[in-house]
Amino acid sequence: MTSQRRRREEEEVRAEMSESGAQLFARLEARRCLKDIEPRLFPGDGGPQHGEVVELYGSEGTGKTELLYHLLCRCVLPNAAGGLEADVVFVDTDYSLDMLRLVSIMESRLNAALSTSAASDEEACRSCLSRLLVVHCSSSSQLLLTLHFLENSFSSRPGLALLLIDSISAFYWPDRCEGGANLAKQEEKLSKCSELLGRLLRDYRITVFATCHAIRRSYSGPSSSSFSDPDRPYLCRAWQRLVIHRLLCSRQEAGNNMAATAGRRQVLTVHCTSSSSSGTKAHRSSSFYVTDGGVEFT
Amino acid sequence: MVLLRDGMCPGLDEGLVRGLRAADIKTVEDLVSSDMEELAQRCSVSYKALFAIRRVLLAQHAAFPVSGADLYEELLSSTAILSTGNPSLDKLLDSGLYTGEITELSGGPGSGKSQVCFGVAVHISHQLKQNVIYVDTTGGLTAGRLLQMLQAETSNAEEQMEALQRIRVFRLFDVFSLLDCLYGLCGGGLQRASVGGGSVKAVIVDSVSAVIAPLLGGKQNEGMSLMSQVAGVLKTMAKDFNVAALVTNHVTRSGGGGGGGAPALGAAWSHIPRTRVLLEKGGDVRRPGLRSATLIKSSRRPLLIKEEFDLKWWSRSKEEGGGAAAAASGKRKRDETDS
Repeated sequence: MTSQRRRREEEEVRAEMSESGAQLFARLEARRCLKDIEPRLFPGDGGPQHGEVVELYGSEGTGKTELLYHLLCRCVLPNAAGGLEADVVFVDTDYSLDMLRLVSIMESRLNAALSTSAASDEEACRSCLSRLLVVHCSSSSQLLLTLHFLENSFSSRPGLALLLIDSISAFYWPDRCEGGANLAKQEEKLSKCSELLGRLLRDYRITVFATCHAIRRSYSGPSSSSFSDPDRPYLCRAWQRLVIHRLLCSRQEAGNNMAATAGRRQVLTVHCTSSSSSGTKAHRSSSFYVTDGGVEFT
Repeated sequence: MVLLRDGMCPGLDEGLVRGLRAADIKTVEDLVSSDMEELAQRCSVSYKALFAIRRVLLAQHAAFPVSGADLYEELLSSTAILSTGNPSLDKLLDSGLYTGEITELSGGPGSGKSQVCFGVAVHISHQLKQNVIYVDTTGGLTAGRLLQMLQAETSNAEEQMEALQRIRVFRLFDVFSLLDCLYGLCGGGLQRASVGGGSVKAVIVDSVSAVIAPLLGGKQNEGMSLMSQVAGVLKTMAKDFNVAALVTNHVTRSGGGGGGGAPALGAAWSHIPRTRVLLEKGGDVRRPGLRSATLIKSSRRPLLIKEEFDLKWWSRSKEEGGGAAAAASGKRKRDETDS
C-alpha cells in the first residue's frame, strides 16, 4: 500500500516539476532577437542570432566595459529612445560594474532622444533599470551555481533576452592554481560553466556577450614576432567552442606624442571575427571613441 | 567548492550523504549539476526529497540577482567621495576617492606615493573625522611624520591625538599576512576599528606590489592566484563596507619604448583598479616637492590629463590657502564649497 502511495506521490511531484503550459510557452516563444543590437560591429547583415555567444577580448583600457554599457543601454531603453525594451542579466565577476557611469550614459541618451522634464526622466531611468538584473559572483563554483539558479529566471521571464558576463576570465588564475599541474583539472570548472551555458543557450535561445581580459601585454615592434600571439584565446576549449563571434578590442598606440593626444578622444578599434557553421570566417573592423554619453562610432 | 555535509539543509542526513558519496557526488556543485531522476534511483531516495534539497542548497549558495533600480538606489545613498586634501589631485580624480572602488597610485622611487598616502590619511582622519586603516608593507610609515603633518593642520594637541587615534596601522611584509589581515578586517575587524563615532572610510595599502611582485614571474601560478585573491578581498571590502581603497604600485620600464615607466604587476593587475594615477617628479630643481600626476585609467575623466601639485601641500601651515573641499555627498555632481 505504502509503495503505491509513494509512487502516486512521485508522479504528482513529477507532474509539478515538469513545465506548466505557461513555462513551456515562455521557453519556446522566440525571445527578442538581438540581431540589430549593434550592426556596426558585426560583419554581413547584422549581429548575433539566437543562442550565439560573442566574446569581447582585449587588454585594459580598450573599451570592452564601455561597449557592454552601450549594448546594455541599447537593450533596456524604451523604443522611443532607440532601445529594444528587452530584459538583461548582468553577471559581474570582478565588481567592475559602475552603476553611476551606466546611469549617466542612460540619462544622456534619454535626454537626447526624448526632451522631457527632469522628473519624468528619473521615472524613465528607473523603469529602464528595472529591466536589469545584476548578480555578483566571487568564484567559478559560485558562477556555476548561479547559472543554475538563473535558469529559473530565464524560464519565468520571457522578456530576458541578453546575458552579459563581465568578465569570464576573472577566475582564470585561481582555477589554474587550484588545479595544480593537471590541465584538465585546471579547466574543469570553466568547462562545466561553458557546458551549462551551452545548454541554456539551446533551451532558452538567449544571447550572451562576455568580456575576456588579455593576460599578456602586446608589444609593438619587430621583437613581437618572437613572442606568441597575445590575442590567442587562452580559456578552456569548451568555452572556445561556444564562441561564435570574437571582437578584438585594441587601442591605437599613442607613441611619443603623449602630450598631443592628452585630453583628446582616444580612438579605439574593434575587429570582429565571426565563424559560421560552415567553417568560413567573416571579418569587420570598426572604430569608436568614448564620450560622456557613452560609445560613439566614427 | 562546497563539500556536502549532513545537516547542511533539512533532509540531508548522514545516510543520504554517504549514499551520495558512493554515487560520486561529493560537492554541492556535483549535486546541482547531476540528473535528479537518475540520482534518486541510484541512492534509493524519493525524487521529491532530492529535488527539495537541491532547491534549498541552490538558494543558499548561489548569488542572488538584484534589480538594477534597487542597486542604484543603494549606491546613491551609500557612496561617498573622500577628498584627498589636495585640490589638484581632487580635480584629477573627479572630486576625490570614491568609496566602493580601488584607486591605484603608481610611480618610481621617490615619486611621492607614500607621502600622498600619508597626506590622504591625515586629511581623512583630521578634516573628515573618519577612521583610516593603513597597511604598511614597506616600513615607510612613521608616526612622527604623521604628527608633523597634523601639526601643520592644527596646533591643538588634543585634536592631533584624536586624529592619530583614528589611523589604525598594520605592519606586514608578506602576502599571506596581508591576506590574513584583509580577511580579518572583512570579518568584523572594520567594525572593531571604528573608534570615536566615525566609521572606517578608507583602507590604504602601501604598497601592494612590494608583497606580490616577488611571487610573479617564472612558471608558477601561485603568484597570479594570490594576486587575484588580494584583489578580490579588497574589492569585496570596498563594496560591502563602503570604503575607498587606495593602493600603491611601483613602475617598470615599458617594453615598447617611451621614456616613462609603466605600472608594474602586469596586464592581469591592470584590470583591477578602477582609477590609476601615475606620479612623476617635477624636474624643477628649485621646487623639489613638485610632482606631476597623470591619469592613466579612469571611467569618468578623459585619459592622460596631467595635474601638478606640491608634496608640501599637506604640511603647509593653515594661514595661507583656504580649507580643502569637504567630502561630497552621494550624487556624482561635485559641489564647489571651496572658501
